Amino acid sequence: MGVSGAQARMDQNPGYYHRLLQGECSGRLEEAIRTDMNRTFPDNVKFRKSADPCLQKTLYNVLVAYGRHNQGVGYCQGMNFIAGYLVLITKSEEKSFWLLDALVGRILPDYYSPAMLGLKTDQEVLGELVRTKLPAVAALMDRHGVLWTLVVSRWFICLFVDVLPVETVLRIWDCLFSEGSKILFRVALTLIKHHQAFILEASSVADTCERFKEITRGSFVTECHTFMQKIFSEPGSLSMATITKLRESCRARLLAQG
Amino acid sequence: MEAIWLYQFRLIVIGDSTVGKSCLIRRFTEGRFAQVSDPTVGVDFFSRLVEIEPGKRIKLQIWDTAGQERFRSITRAYYRNSVGGLLLFDITNRRSFQNVHEWLEETKVHVQPYQIVFVLVGHKCDLDTQRQVTRHEAEKLAAAYGMKYIETSARDAINVEKAFTDLTRDIYELVKRGDITIQEGWEGVKSGFVPNVVHSSEEVVKSERRCLC
Repeated sequence: MGVSGAQARMDQNPGYYHRLLQGECSGRLEEAIRTDMNRTFPDNVKFRKSADPCLQKTLYNVLVAYGRHNQGVGYCQGMNFIAGYLVLITKSEEKSFWLLDALVGRILPDYYSPAMLGLKTDQEVLGELVRTKLPAVAALMDRHGVLWTLVVSRWFICLFVDVLPVETVLRIWDCLFSEGSKILFRVALTLIKHHQAFILEASSVADTCERFKEITRGSFVTECHTFMQKIFSEPGSLSMATITKLRESCRARLLAQG
Repeated sequence: MEAIWLYQFRLIVIGDSTVGKSCLIRRFTEGRFAQVSDPTVGVDFFSRLVEIEPGKRIKLQIWDTAGQERFRSITRAYYRNSVGGLLLFDITNRRSFQNVHEWLEETKVHVQPYQIVFVLVGHKCDLDTQRQVTRHEAEKLAAAYGMKYIETSARDAINVEKAFTDLTRDIYELVKRGDITIQEGWEGVKSGFVPNVVHSSEEVVKSERRCLC
């Protein structure tokens, strides 16, 4: 709450969250969120309809309030998983709301807005980083015609929720809140680099996809302490200046493609 | 070892959020049904072999897509390399049916210069009591766009095999007739892998026959 600035925003805007909840219903927003409630962490007892207290209602409130607060974004699938984690961790609707705002509104550059330009840009940026740092993997992706959106969409949209083990995800989020979105590239590059030889054995598109799912499992990611050390050493230097430059060029390229 | 197949077809599955795209594909590729399934974010990939005639197998690469409108900015990159598509709506959700037209327009713009052979699928037909779209009007709409119409249920495994294999057969006929051709730089249809062993044994049989005559 502190490092992300969420606490400060909450303190500066007392009652804001509750006013949003009492605000006007737009219909479409609420409906879109409602359809995902039964399919957000259905295996978690606290998200079952029968649970008491039931986190479905909490999650619903956070997402509706956020959609009303940030109307340019509204609700995008994927935010349900992120808000779901926040609700589980903080056990507070209002704190979850402000943390979600820190992520969606400030830390992640334009991931969830209708054009999803920031998300597409960052997937391209990852592609460029792989091309520089792990050219053999980039060549494999080109050879099989695999688009990065196919293998890493979930990584970026869900911020590794349901991709990596819970504890590892939370450790990554700690860094995300304090250091910003660059950490997502570190995690992605570490996963790819560590399993480079395994990925390079892929014989087809299907095989490539399967291998990208496989590398998010196993002891390498469950031992989160070692994993977190690896993300800062394995991908090598990764300056914010490089990321910013790549973001600019990838964004321009995407805009030119239309 | 990679199984032997004559052709590989790429199919895309589209339609509104919650119409049951992922469930339909899972039923077809994995033979199971999950009561609840995560919303698909972005694109997912599945594959399966189907035998359309004895000994003639087609490998299907199936692209599952997110239904929420904003994800189209990602999923539309996959239309171009698809030869076939299943366009789903939920028979208990009228709006998903009304959006069929919009989905077709959306694909048409992004698939050019190629074309996708679509089948219209009325999904969740096990929920007949909650039906909001009649079979008659769905058939009429499908016919207007030159598509076939089929009703399926992933839960009760109704017509799931048929939806995919009929579409595969139709595409196969178009390929055989030369209406769809394999092209460099297009992934919709690829020619398969037929090992030499099969060829030579066939030739042996033929030549033996010739000798007997």
